[in-house]
Amino acid sequence: MDIQITGLHQRFGRVVALDSVDLSIPGGMYGLLGTNGAGKTTLMRIIAGVLAPTAGQVRVGGHDLTTRKGRVAVRRRLGYLPQDLGLYPDLSAREFLDYVGLLKGLDETAARRRQVGELLELVGLADVADRRLKGFSGGMRRRVGIAQALLGDPALLVVDEPTAGLDPEERVRFRTLLGSLAGERTVLLSTHIVEDVAQTCRQAAVLTAGRVRYTGPVVELARLAEGMTWEVNAPAGAPPPAGVVVSAISQPSGTRYRVVSEAPPGPDAVAVAPSLEDGYVALMRRPAR
Amino acid sequence: MLGQLWGICRYEFRMQLRKRSLWISTVLLLTFAVVTQGDRGPRHVPMEATAREVMGNWTVLFWIMLPLVFGVVLADRVVRDRRLGVRGLLLGLPVGEGRLLAGKYLGGIAATGLPGLLALLAAAGYEAVHRGTIATFGWALVGFLTVMLPGLAFVAGFALVCPLLVSAPLFRVLFVGYWFWGNLTAPRFLPSLTGTLLTPVGAYPASWLLGEPVMHAGVPGWLAMLRPEPTGAAALGSVALLLVIGVLPLVVTVLLRKEGRA
Repeated sequence: MDIQITGLHQRFGRVVALDSVDLSIPGGMYGLLGTNGAGKTTLMRIIAGVLAPTAGQVRVGGHDLTTRKGRVAVRRRLGYLPQDLGLYPDLSAREFLDYVGLLKGLDETAARRRQVGELLELVGLADVADRRLKGFSGGMRRRVGIAQALLGDPALLVVDEPTAGLDPEERVRFRTLLGSLAGERTVLLSTHIVEDVAQTCRQAAVLTAGRVRYTGPVVELARLAEGMTWEVNAPAGAPPPAGVVVSAISQPSGTRYRVVSEAPPGPDAVAVAPSLEDGYVALMRRPAR
Repeated sequence: MLGQLWGICRYEFRMQLRKRSLWISTVLLLTFAVVTQGDRGPRHVPMEATAREVMGNWTVLFWIMLPLVFGVVLADRVVRDRRLGVRGLLLGLPVGEGRLLAGKYLGGIAATGLPGLLALLAAAGYEAVHRGTIATFGWALVGFLTVMLPGLAFVAGFALVCPLLVSAPLFRVLFVGYWFWGNLTAPRFLPSLTGTLLTPVGAYPASWLLGEPVMHAGVPGWLAMLRPEPTGAAALGSVALLLVIGVLPLVVTVLLRKEGRA
């Protein structure tokens, strides 16, 4: 299910959330990176058919999302995991999924129950399927969220900040699960955690202040920091004078900094291969056109 | 389509039945009503009275205060979707606003109606043993269907929707005030909706059930045109009005939400 976006604008009163966004999203796993407030959630809500765009063209699988008919058609083939996912605390995981299945139009009881059971297995919640959701941890709730999104075998999966607030183990687990889901479907992953995109997506877009700053292969994004990524040792409490510090590792001899900078940040700075995070930082340092 | 409506209704019913406050407050209020009913209450209805009169009295006793519980309980059923963060998820599902609200409305009525029905059946059981007639069960059902259910439908419509405008806690305060003013305050003391066809306390169906005017039905005064002579037809009119008016806030909300929804 490909997504074509042309000249998309979104306003909330006087606030411009999206400004002239052009994007072409093919099938498979696609990452959407950006800082908080960059407009990622707004874009995800538009693609999910939850929000009507102020201006511009958005087509998802051929459906025009500027029309109500198009948005309803997309919602029928959609799995959506919103950023602020809420669950009914008085239902069990199995009941909640059954409820969402009914709302998705899965009317055949036996088939729906079977699918719910399979998804609970898939997300590793089969053992606690009949426990009330009010006792679930953040990670377990997110897994219920992804299971409900997968109900009805949607062609398009829109997941908004799915790993926010998860502990590292849950994050890796969740990422792996998402990666395995792409296959034939389009999975759109919005996040501000660069590592999540690095580990799961081949293509990505970067959004800042409502505009697309980058779109293309993830490896190309990393290459934006080629020749600009350095590691340098410095005494504790004295960060390098130039560039953006990507990481700082404390050592007995001082602190080892990883820096993105056009020029070497110190006489003993060593050039290193850039990661996606370095590429992202390099992109953010560029002036917006 | 019907599968979705049935599903929302079923799960709304289930979630509300699990709400302990519904059961605890109902039991407390009904116990209070039974204990303090005084010598005009149903326990003091003469032995020669018909099952209809007996159960009519029980219905009135229970229904004078029970809607307070139901209105308060129902007040968070729609707004809580936003509070819990479920609304964002629901918006991404292929389900219309009308069906969502209708399912919550029907599920809410069923869940809050059940304790009222059980209370009436318990009273019918007591009276059946006490008076030796099982007709009390039939009249308990009639009391539920004519007095409780229309009033509950009216209360549910407003209780689900009004908290979208004024917040659930404020609605609860206003609702308690409305209940005493609009249902129990004698109209000759204060201009009020009490005793009109529009009172969800069910003055007209209760008058029909008891065979005599009760709860100021038909008394002259302010809004006298809404207080016709209590007859079977007037009771039927009152039931129809309560059902229709109860649905109105839902219809308005669905139209407004459709307007605002993508």
